[in-house]
Amino acid sequence: MTISRREILKAGLAAGASLAIPSVLRAQTAPMDARTVHMVKAAGLSIFDPTVTTVNMTLDHGLAIYDTLFSLDSKFMPQPQMVGKWGVSDDKKTYTFGLRDGLNWHDGTPVTAADCVASIRRWGQVKPGGKFLMARASDISKKDEKTFTIVLKEPLGLLPTLLTQSLYVMREKDADTPATEAVTANIGSGPFTFNHALAKPGSSFAYDRNEKYVPRSEPSDGLAGGKIVKVDRVIWDLIGDQQTALAALQAGEIDYVELPPADFYPVIESDPNLTLQVLDASGQVYYLRMNCLQKPFDNVKARQAVLHLVNQEAYLSVISPDPKYSSTVTSFFGDGNPVSNDENTGWFKKGGDPEKAKQLLKEAGYAGEKVVILQPTDWAEGSNTSQVLAAELQKIGVNAELAASDWGGVAARRVNKGPVNEGGWSIFITTESNSSRGDPTATESLGASGEAGWFGWPKSAEYEALRAKWADVQTIEERKALASKMQQLAWDLAGTVFLGRVVSPIARRKTLTGLIGMPELVPMWNMEKA
Amino acid sequence: MTSYILRRIISTVAVMAMVGIFVFLLLRLAPGDPAAIIAGKSATAEMIAGIREKLGLNDPMPVQFIRWVRDMLGGDFGTSIFAGRPVLELISQRLEPTLSLSILTMILSVSVGVSFGILAAWRTGGLVDRLLAAFSAFGYSVPVFVIGYFFIYFFAIRAHWLPVQGYVPIERGLGPWFVHLVLPTVALGLGFIAFIARVTRASMLEVLSEDYMRTAAAKGASSYAMLFHHALKNAGVPILTVIGISFAYLIGGVVLTETVFNLSGIGRLVVDAINNRDYPIIQSVLILTSGLYVVINLTVDLAYTLIDPRIRY
Repeated sequence: MTISRREILKAGLAAGASLAIPSVLRAQTAPMDARTVHMVKAAGLSIFDPTVTTVNMTLDHGLAIYDTLFSLDSKFMPQPQMVGKWGVSDDKKTYTFGLRDGLNWHDGTPVTAADCVASIRRWGQVKPGGKFLMARASDISKKDEKTFTIVLKEPLGLLPTLLTQSLYVMREKDADTPATEAVTANIGSGPFTFNHALAKPGSSFAYDRNEKYVPRSEPSDGLAGGKIVKVDRVIWDLIGDQQTALAALQAGEIDYVELPPADFYPVIESDPNLTLQVLDASGQVYYLRMNCLQKPFDNVKARQAVLHLVNQEAYLSVISPDPKYSSTVTSFFGDGNPVSNDENTGWFKKGGDPEKAKQLLKEAGYAGEKVVILQPTDWAEGSNTSQVLAAELQKIGVNAELAASDWGGVAARRVNKGPVNEGGWSIFITTESNSSRGDPTATESLGASGEAGWFGWPKSAEYEALRAKWADVQTIEERKALASKMQQLAWDLAGTVFLGRVVSPIARRKTLTGLIGMPELVPMWNMEKA
Repeated sequence: MTSYILRRIISTVAVMAMVGIFVFLLLRLAPGDPAAIIAGKSATAEMIAGIREKLGLNDPMPVQFIRWVRDMLGGDFGTSIFAGRPVLELISQRLEPTLSLSILTMILSVSVGVSFGILAAWRTGGLVDRLLAAFSAFGYSVPVFVIGYFFIYFFAIRAHWLPVQGYVPIERGLGPWFVHLVLPTVALGLGFIAFIARVTRASMLEVLSEDYMRTAAAKGASSYAMLFHHALKNAGVPILTVIGISFAYLIGGVVLTETVFNLSGIGRLVVDAINNRDYPIIQSVLILTSGLYVVINLTVDLAYTLIDPRIRY
């Protein structure tokens, strides 16, 4: 066989092209530029209005595009943000707020006092802190284009703190939307603008640096101080599969993964380009709620039985196997909060107390009624803890069964106050920010107003009377004393039972720095990418 | 032929009506409430009730159904409960990744699968046939997420040749578009290659044992002529059927591949919508997908006449 010169040339070209393929492919997959940060958030963003929901993703979205009147600093103290000068009258009943200079909406129009008043009124219809304020306010009105007042029936020293609770200021025309209907304009006055052209619901969202934003002159401190954006664009990529998200982080395609599963921690820690970082040092409290309206948990002794039964270590072992990131919690006001205390925590025993639980069940007259535990199968931690709970209850003779569905099913069913044979429920498991448990005015689950209250509907007039005083006490010592009394009653009432506290680190590439650590929320200003 | 097509179109309307009723009832009877999901974990019953009312979810089911059908017949497929955008806009955003992946997978599967099938039939019982049988068993039995993670590890993380995830629209360049689709296409295509190769081999073997093939061989026809002019044409109907079914399956069934490689296609749209109980999206996608199935089946039926002139409608 003879080989022609042309064939040799052809073969050489083909070989050269083949060898060049990896470099061509690498060029196509080159890391993105340093002024764009790719973040994989814990869940998808499907609601854009932070007033109508309690979903954290939406609150983060709100934090990016909207501004707030007051913000909490790293010591959880309220500091003015949009507000410039402000003051309170001598009788402590009239607060006057002036907007600082340089505040403009993303559409170019100036922020006015009328926008703030409308936003407060809308927020006051749905958010716990807002409802609390509206019940105490006799008038909220604008004085001039940049000044508004809040007039109270009685002094309320907590007012600036209440204004930090998920109150995102919107344009008046958006804030006039009913509080049950989501605003989708996404026009705020915050440090980022929402990039409508790049928005792909269910896939990715882009936030651009608001070049016209005028930050406060104070240094960044928690959510307060100057919000200085140091990147051009932040993209939230929704990667449904955690394994793929980790691979993308390793390959440098993304910079940040918000909630990596605990079994990925060793892989992340062993990668020289990656690191784990705890942003929310307060963490999340896992707890169960019992239906206090139906048998068997309409009997307080039956609820106390569950309180004594629960072995928090067992639950933590299925939520977060690394003890570095979890701890037991006994204070009704969460772990490590200013008002956390040890009052009436004698129920806590390492490993739980099944014998005491059996005795209490007997005293409650438990007669084998079915106990339905709502098991959210699409939320691994919720599903696993539900199974542990069912096994614990069955061991002490409770007729417990799991009702499996996705979280959507749980959310719909937990509204039902009826008995289990009419589509009701007995127990569901959920989580809450540990830090939010330090403030009963802002947290629905810390109420005990019966059927008017939050799912589970525990009722104690005595407890509610103490809770109503929360905003009136002035000093932290007084608040601690009040918290002790409330906790005494709350653990006797036993509508809520803790399963443990977990701190979840985020995973990031080491080139991404400057992330601000605050409970639940992840602000995007101040971060930098090398 | 025209009356056949008309008959098929009329039957399509009946099928779509059945699908519509089924989908609507199934969604409404399944547990879950979009209002509760919108309001979030810590929401109160009051917040949820307000949102339900606003969304019109408290209206009687027949009223909701009539409203949906009326709007759809007017070309309005509704607005996503969550995204607040027209459903058709969301679907069109997601159509490109799904169609790109499906078309590339079909091109790969048909070209490689049919070639392998012919090769295996031609060398039946030999080493090539056995190797291809082993490959088919492997391709058909290994789930796409296993092979997907394997590819990601070796070609994206270790070698850095290809991206781990994501989709780049074709308008941003053929190169980036193609590079982002290589791994998902090959991962998804393996099963279809195996399937099409098995069917092609079986169909070809059946035809190759026919008397007229022996006659052709006796008359001195070349292997090429026997395989491609005589055998493949006559074996074409079952192969075409399988290709049609595979393509229809691909359009609606790529969700696993889309998830592993983070391609924001129709599959992911539906899964997210189901999790959120975003009824307008689920209903519209299922109706449109059913319509697409019917159209593909009709196209395949008509294509039979091109392959086998004896088939007449």
